[in-house]
Amino acid sequence: MSFVPKTQPFSGKINAVTLGTGDKAIVIGGQNVLPFYTFDAPIENAPKVGVEITDTANEWTAPGLREFYAGCTTMADYAKKAETMEGADFLCLHFESADPNGANRSVEECVADAKSVAEAVSMPIVIMGCKNLEKDGELFSKIAEALQGKNILVMSARAEDYKTVGASVVLAYGQKVGAETADDINLAKQLNIMLKGLNIPAESVVMNVGTAAVGYGYEYVASTLDRIRDAALKQADADLQMPIVAPVSADTWGVKESTASEEDEPAWGCAEERAIHMEVSTAAANLTGGADAVIMRHPAAVATIKKFINELV
Amino acid sequence: MALKGLDIFKMSPKKNCKECGSPTCMAFCMKVAQGAVSIDKCPYFSEEAKASLNEATAPAMKTITFGNDLKLGGETVLFRHEKTLVNKNLFAVAVSTAMSAEEVDAKLADMQKVDYERISERMYVETVFVSNTQSDPAVYAALVEKAAATGRALVLECWDVECAKAALAVCKDSKPILDGATAANWEAMNAVAQEAGVVLGVYAENLSDLYDTVKKLEAAGNKNLVLDVTGKNGKETLANAVLVRRTAIKDGDRSFGYPSIVNLARVAQGDARLQTAYASMFVEKYGSIIVMESMSYAQALPLYGLRQNIFTDPQKPMKVESKIYPLNGADENAPCALTVDFALTYFLVSGELERSNQPVNLLITDASGMSVLTAWAAGKFSSSSIKKFFDENDIENKIKSRTLIIPGKVAVMKGEIQEKLPGWNVVVGPLEAVQLPKYMKDKEYEAAAKAAAAENAAKAATAAATEVKELSFEELLETKVPKIEVVDMGVKYKGHNPESQTFVTIGERIHCIAPVIRKAMDERDPEPILKRAAEQIAAGATYLDVNIGPAEKDGPERMMWAVKLLQENFNNVPLALDTANKRAIEAGIKVYNRTNGKPIVNSADAGSRISYIDLAAANDAICIALCSADGIAKDNEERMKHCHNMLERGMSLGMDATDLWFDPLFLVVKGMQDKQMEVLQAIKMFSDEGLKSTGGLSNNSNGAPKNVRPIMDSALVAMAMMQGLTSAIVNPNDLRLMETIKSCDIFKNHVLYSDSYLEI
Repeated sequence: MSFVPKTQPFSGKINAVTLGTGDKAIVIGGQNVLPFYTFDAPIENAPKVGVEITDTANEWTAPGLREFYAGCTTMADYAKKAETMEGADFLCLHFESADPNGANRSVEECVADAKSVAEAVSMPIVIMGCKNLEKDGELFSKIAEALQGKNILVMSARAEDYKTVGASVVLAYGQKVGAETADDINLAKQLNIMLKGLNIPAESVVMNVGTAAVGYGYEYVASTLDRIRDAALKQADADLQMPIVAPVSADTWGVKESTASEEDEPAWGCAEERAIHMEVSTAAANLTGGADAVIMRHPAAVATIKKFINELV
Repeated sequence: MALKGLDIFKMSPKKNCKECGSPTCMAFCMKVAQGAVSIDKCPYFSEEAKASLNEATAPAMKTITFGNDLKLGGETVLFRHEKTLVNKNLFAVAVSTAMSAEEVDAKLADMQKVDYERISERMYVETVFVSNTQSDPAVYAALVEKAAATGRALVLECWDVECAKAALAVCKDSKPILDGATAANWEAMNAVAQEAGVVLGVYAENLSDLYDTVKKLEAAGNKNLVLDVTGKNGKETLANAVLVRRTAIKDGDRSFGYPSIVNLARVAQGDARLQTAYASMFVEKYGSIIVMESMSYAQALPLYGLRQNIFTDPQKPMKVESKIYPLNGADENAPCALTVDFALTYFLVSGELERSNQPVNLLITDASGMSVLTAWAAGKFSSSSIKKFFDENDIENKIKSRTLIIPGKVAVMKGEIQEKLPGWNVVVGPLEAVQLPKYMKDKEYEAAAKAAAAENAAKAATAAATEVKELSFEELLETKVPKIEVVDMGVKYKGHNPESQTFVTIGERIHCIAPVIRKAMDERDPEPILKRAAEQIAAGATYLDVNIGPAEKDGPERMMWAVKLLQENFNNVPLALDTANKRAIEAGIKVYNRTNGKPIVNSADAGSRISYIDLAAANDAICIALCSADGIAKDNEERMKHCHNMLERGMSLGMDATDLWFDPLFLVVKGMQDKQMEVLQAIKMFSDEGLKSTGGLSNNSNGAPKNVRPIMDSALVAMAMMQGLTSAIVNPNDLRLMETIKSCDIFKNHVLYSDSYLEI
């Protein structure tokens, strides 16, 4: 036996963050090795898969998706159904239509949706906003208040609004918060330091360090993930040891590979199958780079990624 | 494993005979270690020493070539951000003797359907993985022949020696990989591969056996290998792939320094979606040939996109092809929208234009892969480059519409473009891509195009009357350069001795990127320019940089005016002339007074701007020489290569070596923190060769908070001066920085100390 592999566990360790309550609560993070490097040290907590439900889900057209959610009309219907999806660990409520430049649904309506979902399901809940800073600020605060005690995660506190979001979501209502930056390791670290400055404990923070569908500048995401994990583990940089949550579906379902109709691209074949592979590939790439949780949409893609994770840990 | 200069020095003859051209053996060995010279330049190095050096300096991972010049491996780092990944992974589709003939035919036919182009790269399945599961040589040879007929490179997975021989008999000229050596058969299989002159693949049950088998093959003289690291399942395969690559690159053990094969047809059999997941992982983590059961478009679109991203050189931006992209069914009558060839810009702009559902011809011009503003500032996105693009692509005849929408960010170019493209109606589009759908849907460009057309017609009428001829510098000076009025700004330039060793600061604040300076240059308004000059001179700047912008139209008279204005007002302060317009630099030098030092040409590089060296040589000027060609040099080997190219060119044109000031290109800490020490080492290399250096030092702290920047800049300048930096382009009004520089000049013994050294 001439070859003895050198193992490489690190002194640094990713924080373990708990989401949700009761039997269905999940823990993300906790490992001291690179993703799936079980030969270096055991992986503390397997990466988790979340299912995205948008408040525009009734407009989804993919036949498989429609079939899975057949009969669902309200967000609570969708959530209950999503909870049964093979491989789902948590649910992500994406309030796309709150956008003042879009449907501009009121905060009250969105909060009512979130409440009805929280009453109907037992899985941990993650909240995504509409990207409008002002609206999100109000929305996040009200939902965090309404769902007190549920230990939800609110994506996203950004450099522009981390003070108000952090203060309300974590300090006032005891929920978890996602620090969101766009492919910038220095800013990711800075934002975590700022949240720390508000007296938010590190265990209440996860990161969204930027996303892209594969093929669309994904190299920036890949290198950001590589560098963040390098700093967190090798340099044991406590300000980058937060677990990472990657919302994959929001990007992958919007690119041409997923949306082009079969009439427009006859050679490409079934559009839904393309969207599934786009989602699977982007999620797998994120998990390989360091995401501790991915947020996805299609049941087939969720099942595939769950299988992938289970085989690897 | 890179060898350090000192390690080489230990083996050197230590004669200091100078026959190699270096002053000492130590200097020579340092250059060898950097790859700047070949060890063969020294006639006295012993053969044994050379052989052991070659062994020690060989890359940790071999580059293996097969098929029609397909390359695998050759990687030097584990992560792309550390430097770059070199050879992209290849994909294969598996066929096997266990399949029916129909199944094989269908697989091969389907595989060939995936063949398309994405950002100038052909996307297709490069290899067929041909598995043998039986013992009849004729059966296997027949399958191999069928696979070979596709014209794709072959990997022959075959552990039966006779079958392997038969297969190679029909395909060895296409240079396949014989993936056949195992712990049991390696000797016989090695003979077969050697005989046919093909790459040998090695497979073993576990890494220990794999390692031993490779050792035996290496001992038998075969280092033309690939390693099949497929394990019993995905988990084991990842472990194998990572451990093999890490052992080679991190631990420098070359016996695992070979490319890998991962066979997903085995690991995730029957599950195409799971294969997509695994393939995505192995694109990032060390699969060299990734074998799939099949490759549909649904799989190819994400996988090839991911591969293209991951294998992009982090220092060379991804470019799309420069051409017309008709969107939403655009024909020759659709309006044109113009932008640069940076891939992200292209994706963003084309995506938003597509969302508008309005037919439009997207024109992508060659801007070296830079974003709009960066390209504009570097002179790569200019009315000339646009004109060239129009000529080369025959846009004039290909498109009938005469509406040309330019990015809102370069609204300043409208006039110049209009002049170069007289038949077109140039319209300034929105500032951000997200505004495009509304802009296009509402046809906001129509009114603007009409206005432009009217303006053009009016201009054409008057232009017909006056014919313009190019004026000589003397004539320009006479007619186009306003008389300079000397104003007392209360500041006197104290003079500069070009022979002095003190650090040369080049004040950077007269730059067209500042709106107030741009306006002052446009209007020939002396006041704002004199004000900034006075501030910089008072703060102790040695030279002043004069950036007049791309100045395509009136560059010569602009530069002559600026040079005269500054020199006549400030005791002939020496200047660096900074513009993409070469004729403007020449004009500036014509009126330049050399009392306090030669003019500086800012700047040449080793790529498209190399001719600035010629310009400097012809005008007896100093030339700033950027050690980059297109994009940032990937390492110091490349930096030094550029440095030596430019040095050679300058000297062959009669320049003094010290009139070339080499710029290593200071990199921004936010983003390229891990490259800072390398830049500092480059400065040491220049200095060791007796060369002068300079650069835009404050670039390091770009994007950092205002209160932090002076601290970072002064720390870096101290480190860089320690390394031998002789000059920098800086903001002289940064007091902390200037005080640091003055202090360093004391420590370097360039200036005699006195208690008030900071004040003088």
